[in-house]
Amino acid sequence: VRAFLAQPADRFRATAREALADARMQEAIDSGTFRPRQSRIDSWQALPDVEELRERAHAIRMETVENLDRYVDEFAAAARAAGAHVHLAATAEDACAYVTDVCRRRGARLVAKAKSMLSEEIQLNAALAAIGVEAVECDLGEYVMQLAGEHPTHILAPALEKTAVDIAELFSRGGDAVEPELEALADEARRRLRGVFETADVGVTGANFAVAETGSICLVTNEGNGGLVTALPPVHVALVGMERMVPRLANLAILLQLLARSASGQSLSSYTRLLTGPRRDGEHDGPEEVYVVIIDNGRTNLRTGRYKEMLACIRCGACLNVCPVYRKAGGSSYGPVYSGPMGAVLVPLLVGLEHAPSLPHASSLCGACSAACPVKIPLHELLLDLRRDLAGRGIASRAERIAFQIWSLAWSRPRPYRASTTAARLLQRLAALAGPGRRWAVGRALPRLRRRYRDRRDTR
Amino acid sequence: MSLVEAFAANATTAGFHVHRGDQPQIEGAAVSQASFGLADTGSVVLFASPEEPRARHLLTQVHVSVLRERGILPGLHELFEAVAHDFPGALTIVTGPSTSGDIEQRLVVGVHGPREVHVVLVP
Repeated sequence: VRAFLAQPADRFRATAREALADARMQEAIDSGTFRPRQSRIDSWQALPDVEELRERAHAIRMETVENLDRYVDEFAAAARAAGAHVHLAATAEDACAYVTDVCRRRGARLVAKAKSMLSEEIQLNAALAAIGVEAVECDLGEYVMQLAGEHPTHILAPALEKTAVDIAELFSRGGDAVEPELEALADEARRRLRGVFETADVGVTGANFAVAETGSICLVTNEGNGGLVTALPPVHVALVGMERMVPRLANLAILLQLLARSASGQSLSSYTRLLTGPRRDGEHDGPEEVYVVIIDNGRTNLRTGRYKEMLACIRCGACLNVCPVYRKAGGSSYGPVYSGPMGAVLVPLLVGLEHAPSLPHASSLCGACSAACPVKIPLHELLLDLRRDLAGRGIASRAERIAFQIWSLAWSRPRPYRASTTAARLLQRLAALAGPGRRWAVGRALPRLRRRYRDRRDTR
Repeated sequence: MSLVEAFAANATTAGFHVHRGDQPQIEGAAVSQASFGLADTGSVVLFASPEEPRARHLLTQVHVSVLRERGILPGLHELFEAVAHDFPGALTIVTGPSTSGDIEQRLVVGVHGPREVHVVLVP
């Protein structure tokens, strides 16, 4: 799993370069991020006091992270009391083994899945395939990516980089041609996936939140796939990141007010579902058995110290939509699961900085991500801290370290410092005329470096 | 604006057809009895029960939900206070039709659930 999420130093650059050269993909990312970006801004502005709401959401998330063990215990007790089975999984392997066990015990052959980034993270589909169980993605975007044999490129809109034409090609493979029209594609997906919901032996979902007070899983979807996956198959397996806990329903009310608004600009998504235990006496649908798998998989690494703020993330995708780097480099540059600023912070922390050393640099540090985060995670500051850790732990490249050592040495004495600013003044002009700096200088104007330090001293 | 008026306005924005008193007769439509309505967001709240199966409102092209006006609450906070002691196995807050933005982030309705949603306000 570590190897799966890891992003070797040169891969970000190589993948991003390909994305930049692909005009069709660039256009798809541009138009795909524009609408949700604008909708979020509009819906935040329509709130009476979005800043107060963000502060409250931040406080709720941080209190939860500080007391995570307590809330996990409280949730597990309440969910068991409601009739669910609860398993705590330390690793991805552990989580997959538990789910495949459930499938074996039930003699399952077909699994219907609602969208879950955590299931991508633990590579559940591969684990199921290994025991001969077919898993079908039922979220439209995930279904498209499954047909393409690719990983999601946006945590909310997995097929963001695909056009209607791309999708029509995928749908037409080995069958009748499907028109690249929105309605035709949606109808085709509805027709194909309805049968999956109806015949699946097990339904697998993620969880947007898990309410400790009631032992409920909260699922938010627009298509209704979450509702069908948890109503028709006889077994429901919910994969829950351990940080998804929400202490009380009153806290959930705050977070739900921000989640959909930040993701798509809706006041609430079409379907917000709270599921508590299996079907009850007299009910005609709903799962007979419910299994909740609470997954750590590296999250404990973040729980102490500076980076615990990253555990506050509610996976709304707002930081991806505003990020100038994500919007050019595309989702796959960051690796197979998490992308954009949230991925650039989270992935190195989950797999170890040495296994994803390029990700903290996948940012211009402009701060647009932090400003768009509904739970006020200081994403760009965390990226800067990760860069400091890279340097401190000697993971940074040799050339970079030597350059900074020389710089630091030179600037700690007045004479070399003065010499360096004089040199910079000259080089600034020269670089714009020739050499590699010339291309950069076209269309850019730097403020002239002034001789302020010296001037002041002379007049004293 | 009264809660009922606010609900009707926001439900319309969310994509519901709002009716006062008369239930539209649409062939093949799923009919649900809403337990609550939320004025802030124009949502209907469905409680799973033997009379209210979890999947029914998602299986047809049209969903008609009947909501008593006195079941309309201001928003999520009031809903969660009201249900604290009587929590159903599945509680669904429905806010508009089934939609997807997964193709080029353009909105399409009726991907897995209903294309058309109605709410009927009854006294």
